[in-house]
Amino acid sequence: MLGFLLARQAGLDDPLRLRRAESTRRVLGLELNKDRDVERIHGNGINTLDIEPIEARYMLSGGSDGVIVLYDLENSSRQPYYTCKAVCSVGRNHPDVHKYSVETVQWYPHDTGMFTSSSFDKTLKVWDTNTLQTADVFSFEETVYSHHMSPVATKHCLVAVGTRGPKVQLCDLKSGSCSHILQVMFAGHRQEILAVSWSPRCEYVLATASADSRVKLWDVRRASGCLITVDQHNGKKSQAVESANTAHNGKVNGLCFTSDGLHLLTVGTDNRMRLWNSSNGENTLVNYGKVCNDSRKGLKFTVSYGCSAEFVFVPYGSTIAVYTIYSGEQITMLKGHYKSVDCCVFRSNFQELYSGSRDCNILAWVPSLSEPVPDDDETTTKSQLNPAFEDAWSSSDEEG
Amino acid sequence: MRCSKRSASRSRGGTQRWFSALRDSTIQRRWRADPSAARAGVRFTPESRAPARRPRVPGPERRRRKPIPGRRAAARLPGPLKGRVEGSLVLRHLSSTRRAGLLGARRHCSAPEDAVSVSPSLSTGLFPGSLRSRDMSRKRQRLVPDGFGLKRQRERGQAEADPLRGESGSARAAVAELVQLFPRSLFEDALPPIALRSQVYSLVPDRTAADRQLKALQEQGEIRIIQLGFDLDAHGIIFTEDYRTRVLKACDGRPYAGAVQKFLASVLPACGDLSFQQDQMTQTFGFRDPEITQLVNAGVLTVRDAGSWWLAVPGAGRFIKYFVKGRQAVLGMVRKAKYRELLLSELLGRRAPAAVRLGLTYHVHDLIGAQLVDCVSTTSGTLLRLPET
Repeated sequence: MLGFLLARQAGLDDPLRLRRAESTRRVLGLELNKDRDVERIHGNGINTLDIEPIEARYMLSGGSDGVIVLYDLENSSRQPYYTCKAVCSVGRNHPDVHKYSVETVQWYPHDTGMFTSSSFDKTLKVWDTNTLQTADVFSFEETVYSHHMSPVATKHCLVAVGTRGPKVQLCDLKSGSCSHILQVMFAGHRQEILAVSWSPRCEYVLATASADSRVKLWDVRRASGCLITVDQHNGKKSQAVESANTAHNGKVNGLCFTSDGLHLLTVGTDNRMRLWNSSNGENTLVNYGKVCNDSRKGLKFTVSYGCSAEFVFVPYGSTIAVYTIYSGEQITMLKGHYKSVDCCVFRSNFQELYSGSRDCNILAWVPSLSEPVPDDDETTTKSQLNPAFEDAWSSSDEEG
Repeated sequence: MRCSKRSASRSRGGTQRWFSALRDSTIQRRWRADPSAARAGVRFTPESRAPARRPRVPGPERRRRKPIPGRRAAARLPGPLKGRVEGSLVLRHLSSTRRAGLLGARRHCSAPEDAVSVSPSLSTGLFPGSLRSRDMSRKRQRLVPDGFGLKRQRERGQAEADPLRGESGSARAAVAELVQLFPRSLFEDALPPIALRSQVYSLVPDRTAADRQLKALQEQGEIRIIQLGFDLDAHGIIFTEDYRTRVLKACDGRPYAGAVQKFLASVLPACGDLSFQQDQMTQTFGFRDPEITQLVNAGVLTVRDAGSWWLAVPGAGRFIKYFVKGRQAVLGMVRKAKYRELLLSELLGRRAPAAVRLGLTYHVHDLIGAQLVDCVSTTSGTLLRLPET
């Protein structure tokens, strides 16, 4: 560590190198900390978490009872012990609360004045954060499993919505219409869409994962069909017969782009996680081993950002498994929840992980700092004795 | 040959008493081993050599141990322990076997790292993929030195060239070794020797590297990967020459022989995939529909979907039946054990139930590689435990 600082000071090293090395070291030391807590508001399982990308200070959580809570993660008290308090919440007595379970919440990518939430009651609601009222409601014919808004989009305000039907719908926030539908006769999905995700690299590229074992990459400007259907066997098939390509041998539950958008991670109910090259849809054949996945809905997992070796945090039963992305090695399993974990988010500025589970808890995984050196304690214990009580003669136990 | 080894080891009375249970099980295993495949995969070379070379420590253990200062000194134990019986027995063990690390670990409360390094060569020699264990804090430290540019600590026992493992990580050698395990006589040599991808994972600990090497071998045309019907994830690996000879032999004199020969000649070298599509077969390779039906009848193709087929091995149905039954039987052995866990050496030493026709080692490789059992390293060897879920 000192070597890094010295090298940075002297200009021998890029300043980013120290930052990445320290971030990696902190991520490797993630564990539960008795000093950090998240206030428990939910009475039912937590389905989704999202941290706003601007300041990484506020976190939204959506629960199985339709309740949405907003937490402030910043520790402004001067003490190490801190409970992340709920700033406000959309409770059951709110007039606009979702009727059924909230599946996905997401902050508006450009500021915290707005957030979106979608739920099993077939609606997508757009909320104003300051007044906590719905600004707009989009209704669908089927239950909504997932929605996502592009984090890098400047030219459009589309929200991609995955429902139980095979069609991926795009809602436009500017015009309030949800008429743009991505479903082309033969090349669309055939069963429910369990996860959608925009690429962080290109604002028009969308990835969708469906229960028919397929993952498709779309360009929303293109009317004629999807760009690529990824194939787990990397076969040399022609483009015309993509109908046989499958990404997993079961339903595809979760999607996550890596932070640079060059790769895509998918998890499926065949207990596998796969890494794809997002430009040509090729399976990179990185093998993570068995990633237990029993979830019937989407599984929300996350990747780290800013480390030298990027990590992926996947809910694995009631624990969270941490793998390095590009080598497939399992680093550790974070144990702490009592029931199955549904979602997790990573706070990249502080290298913290927040995870929500069916046991109604949100746990904060904080990098553990090293213990202080023991010889400091000896001097402090000696000086704690009040001089008035000190003996004038030396203790003679040894000589006695 | 065998008797002489046994008498030689028996002559060394007292010290052998301690190892007798393991030695007996090894000897029984050797005798029960499949006589047709002479040295086939019953690669108990560490143990079968052990009785004759009792004083020497087998290869990996000697090289693996990084001496921890307190342990060796304590293990040598001058004066105080010489009077006691067990102390002297232990000392003789130490001097004769030089398993200082193993016994030292048993006497002291060892730090977690030791458990990884002192597991005997049997389990890690045969199943190097089982060395990974999923403890919350154990392996995290390894990445940190890389990030900080410090010298990488020597890996415990995985990276060194190990004569017992031979290939130390090549998928090709692993497949070659696994096809030795396949019981050819059971199928009267009509089936090519099939290895499974999960078995390769148990021999090559790094799965990503194994996958990539297998993919490279597949692209070069050395192996074919076959979809075994019972599980979409289970892929069988066959050497291409074996496949070709067996298929030709199987379709000799049959009405579909012509179509099969045309398939083997034109499609197999050109397309290394697991499956074939309708228009690929008709347009690129010029097969007509009746010919494709003949191929399906021959067992070379299996229907996957409307208009797509998996590559298949004729006559593999029996193999799949034995495999599925054997897998369930071996898993049942672990399940019925107390606490649903079994030491690997004990599992291999048991008599195989009648449902296991392909050999216990074959199935254990598959179970470890498919992660149907968790491998836990203990001081007595690798423990196979059923996962909690």
